[in-house]
Amino acid sequence: MLRLALKMTWARKGRLVLTSLAIILGTGFLSGTFVFRDTINQTFDRLFSDVFRDVDAYVRSTAFIELDFGGEQRAGTPISALETVRNVEGVVSATGDIQGFARVIGKDGKPLGSEGGGPPTFGSIASDDSAGLWSVVEGRLPNGPKDVMLDRATADNGEFIIGDTVRVIAARGAREFTLVGIASYGDISSPGGATFALFDQPTASEFLLEPGFVDAFLIEGDDSVSDEVLAQRIDAALADELKLETLTGAEITAEVQGQIKDVLNIFSTFLIVFSYIALGIGSFVIYNVFSITAAQRQRENALLRAIGASRRQVSRALLVEGTLMGVVGSLLGFAVGIGLSQLLNALLKATGFEVPTAGLAIKPGSLVNTMIAGVSVTVFAAWLPARRAGRVPPLAALRDTALDTAGNLKRRVIIGLVLIALGVVGLIAASNDAPIQVLGLGVLGVFAGILVLGPAIARPVALALGKPVAALRGVSGTMARQNAARNPKRTSRTAAPVLLGVALVTAFTALAASIRSEIRDTFGAAFSGDFALTVDSQGFGGIPLSVTDQIAGLDGVAQATGVGFTSVRIVDPNDTTVDPASMMRGNFVQTINPATIVGLFDLGVTEGDLSSLGRDGLFVDAGRATERGWQVGTRLQVIRIDGAVIDAEVRGLVSGETSFANYVASREMFADAPTPIFDSFVYIKAAQGAALDEVEARIAAISSDAGIGTLQSKEGFIDAQAAQVNQVLGLIYGLLGLSIIIAIVGIVITLLLSVFERRREIGLLRAVGMTRAQVRTTVRWESVITSLLGAVTGVVLGIVMGVVVVAALADDGDGITFRLPVTGTLVIVVISFILGVVAAIYPAWRATKVNVVEAISTT
Amino acid sequence: MTSLPPPTATNATHAAHAKGATKIYGTGDSEVRALDDVDVAFQRGKFTAIMGPSGSGKSTLMHCIAGLDSLTSGSVSIGDTDLSKLSDKALTQLRRDKVGFIFQAFNLIPTLTAYENIVLPLTLGKKKGDETWINRVIDTISLRDRLEHRPSELSGGQQQRVAIARALASQPDIIFADEPTGNLDSKTGTEVLTFMRRAVTDLGQTIVMVTHDATAASYADRIVFLADGKVAGEMFSPTAQKVLDYLKHLGE
Repeated sequence: MLRLALKMTWARKGRLVLTSLAIILGTGFLSGTFVFRDTINQTFDRLFSDVFRDVDAYVRSTAFIELDFGGEQRAGTPISALETVRNVEGVVSATGDIQGFARVIGKDGKPLGSEGGGPPTFGSIASDDSAGLWSVVEGRLPNGPKDVMLDRATADNGEFIIGDTVRVIAARGAREFTLVGIASYGDISSPGGATFALFDQPTASEFLLEPGFVDAFLIEGDDSVSDEVLAQRIDAALADELKLETLTGAEITAEVQGQIKDVLNIFSTFLIVFSYIALGIGSFVIYNVFSITAAQRQRENALLRAIGASRRQVSRALLVEGTLMGVVGSLLGFAVGIGLSQLLNALLKATGFEVPTAGLAIKPGSLVNTMIAGVSVTVFAAWLPARRAGRVPPLAALRDTALDTAGNLKRRVIIGLVLIALGVVGLIAASNDAPIQVLGLGVLGVFAGILVLGPAIARPVALALGKPVAALRGVSGTMARQNAARNPKRTSRTAAPVLLGVALVTAFTALAASIRSEIRDTFGAAFSGDFALTVDSQGFGGIPLSVTDQIAGLDGVAQATGVGFTSVRIVDPNDTTVDPASMMRGNFVQTINPATIVGLFDLGVTEGDLSSLGRDGLFVDAGRATERGWQVGTRLQVIRIDGAVIDAEVRGLVSGETSFANYVASREMFADAPTPIFDSFVYIKAAQGAALDEVEARIAAISSDAGIGTLQSKEGFIDAQAAQVNQVLGLIYGLLGLSIIIAIVGIVITLLLSVFERRREIGLLRAVGMTRAQVRTTVRWESVITSLLGAVTGVVLGIVMGVVVVAALADDGDGITFRLPVTGTLVIVVISFILGVVAAIYPAWRATKVNVVEAISTT
Repeated sequence: MTSLPPPTATNATHAAHAKGATKIYGTGDSEVRALDDVDVAFQRGKFTAIMGPSGSGKSTLMHCIAGLDSLTSGSVSIGDTDLSKLSDKALTQLRRDKVGFIFQAFNLIPTLTAYENIVLPLTLGKKKGDETWINRVIDTISLRDRLEHRPSELSGGQQQRVAIARALASQPDIIFADEPTGNLDSKTGTEVLTFMRRAVTDLGQTIVMVTHDATAASYADRIVFLADGKVAGEMFSPTAQKVLDYLKHLGE
């Protein structure tokens, strides 16, 4: 029987590929992200093995803080210890290394490399020590406070030649250097698209970090002993009070590789989650296709039952077909995925993120995961139709008409509504900090409810949507309307993927609109200045404090204040419940200048006075304070990156709406830190009566002189803050777009199958005088009605989900109110209309190809 | 015409029989008695035709005896087995092993070859079947050169011959044919009926055929006439002329 089932499947191989499309697309994106992730990981693995090829040992400080978004920040290593290391037996060469923030200003006055999201801009050390990472390809090494060397790609991009003056901005401000050499990093000109400005060690320490300090030592041994022994010797030689540790080359390589992987994995996890959503929506399409083909093969299945096939044998035949489709579809999907990963790579390259290609990484694990996901989703989707096929009464073999009953409608409505209600309850619970599984169950409940409810509402809604079509398009329109309504189960199953995609898009759009207007309101109220200078440096570098102070001193500027961020560790000495393992976890602190911020930017202080902040004061987010049982007067320890412990006191509370971090400290707290802090925002108020455009020009001059920051008007700044939501939204749209594509493919497949099923009917219509154009119109409008059915119900569901989530967020005290994205919703409906038309093109063409004579003579 | 003799014969000579078979569709005003207390038996090794006008219940009778449909009251048996006591699973098994079917159309699975269709009931039961027998069946219905063809590559008559072969393949106790020539022209119809006749005479099979065609019915050993859900009479060794005369008389 298995052989027969395989044979029966094979005989329909054309349809096999057609119906596998949904699986191919779903698994294609999934495997694409797998391969992409592995390729990038492999690339960086090789890059860092290459980079640290000559490094046998690595010395660094033991004081560090884990950052919120992965990675860590470490205290500096005193260069004075380098001599000790060089004298250790077995050490051939030792050199200091720095990876600090530095930005090269191009000849047009604009910084090279993009601000924010783009690849980082580094300042580093170039030396002739063989343990160094850089090799000179042109000119000579920098030597002295006026020399700089650039990486090949940066020099080329900036069109710099040796002897040029190069302006560089770093922690200590902007300076001019002379380009003395061009270098390459291992074998590549610019790793990951980052820009590098290279200095000799004393210049780098002073300009990028702190005189006398580097990030780490790179050490090359003479290979007389193993790296482990060498590292132990170095460790023993270094005094304990220096708080330094020594790693082997292999250890530091693995660690850096791991850090890169952590960052990349956040991104690829995001991609993979949306791939699974797409695959889930694809499973609806697969389910629909199986249901239709099972209904179309009802007579065949009934015949099998009549001549003695058991229910299970009929069901199993369909499951075998499903499994086969899953296998074939997933395999093809994997091939498609390899192509997609290349596309992702090309996209990255186009955005300037050069990833040195080390060949595709196609791992067996990716194939296995893709196959498991694809096959199990397909088999799962085939399960119900297969069971139903087995239940076909043998007598159906003798009947002409196919049965596809919608069952008890009232029961459907009740069960459907109950499931949706339960799902919504789950969603509400989930947005109130219930575990993530509850969210999953909630979404599942809503979707299951929609699936159950669908056939009950499909007919009336399709008829309502079809009314104008029937009125406008005459007979063809009327038939399209009836066709869309005549098989409510099928129509609702076809519309379901559209519904899900649209519901998610609508919910995200509504959420984003609400958040945007919330941000607009709060910032509009909190910011009372005229300009804002911002830098989107994502925690790496920013506006040097000297630039802020320079702006404050400008003619025509009444007040200017800077706000920045840094990471510290906050320890509550009285709290014994904290897991020691999480002690290294960093906390974001907002650094402000309490002397200038009042009256310019409202941090939402609910208790205390910012002027009391001082060097050892903290203001804490009210919510966080309640959570941890802190109040004004509570003593906390702030541990800086350099390891300095500051006994601090909670001196006030903030509401948290306009602060970007849970803690606020004065910039004074970090004045004596070896690693300088930066500002991310500078808020500026012009003096009364000053000409705004003149003031703006003056600030712009300083900003451009410093080569950093974007100057915005108050309106522009508020818009930009609100628009940050759009970036995330854009990404989500892009990823949900894939789900929509799969939904459209579902409509195409369904229409094709319907056309095939109705070819006698179409033949008859053609015979009695329907033109090809009329046939096309009928198919097209059926498609549009189906697509709109999904879109309209999806918009309703999406708005409901949006209201629920926003309400739950508001309950959490985020003070957010629901905003209906009218334009967004209309756009979604219009797009669905267009997609309906597009989806119908091929099936409509196929319908006109029905051979009239053959169609009406087949029995 | 005499009335039907009571079904007193033992099961040794009867391949199937029905007792008090009643089938009612709908309830109340819309109630239809498709079968009304029918007693009938089908002899082993004989070719029996069931005739009657549309709505006489002939198809319903066949479906119920074959286990495709269930009775409202009464009982039907195939061999010694009372079908009303069987589960769906047992019924399926019975259809597979003891019963053969020939329908008017849509007899064959379009994706399988003629040979695969013929041995399908055996395959479904995971049985090898009697190869000598199957070869004999194939030769009897002259299909040797068509075995690897798909149904779509066969003429209507050839398709029905494959269906006959399939019905015969598992050497069932009884074969039910529902208007097997209904879709065929008279020449191929004759051909198909000849093969059915040979399956009974030469191969010793039992066939029950529902038809409204007098010529087709004349190939049978015996005809059972049905009208309004009741047995209206029977005829042995029929000829087409005798049948037509009888039908005329029945209609009066």
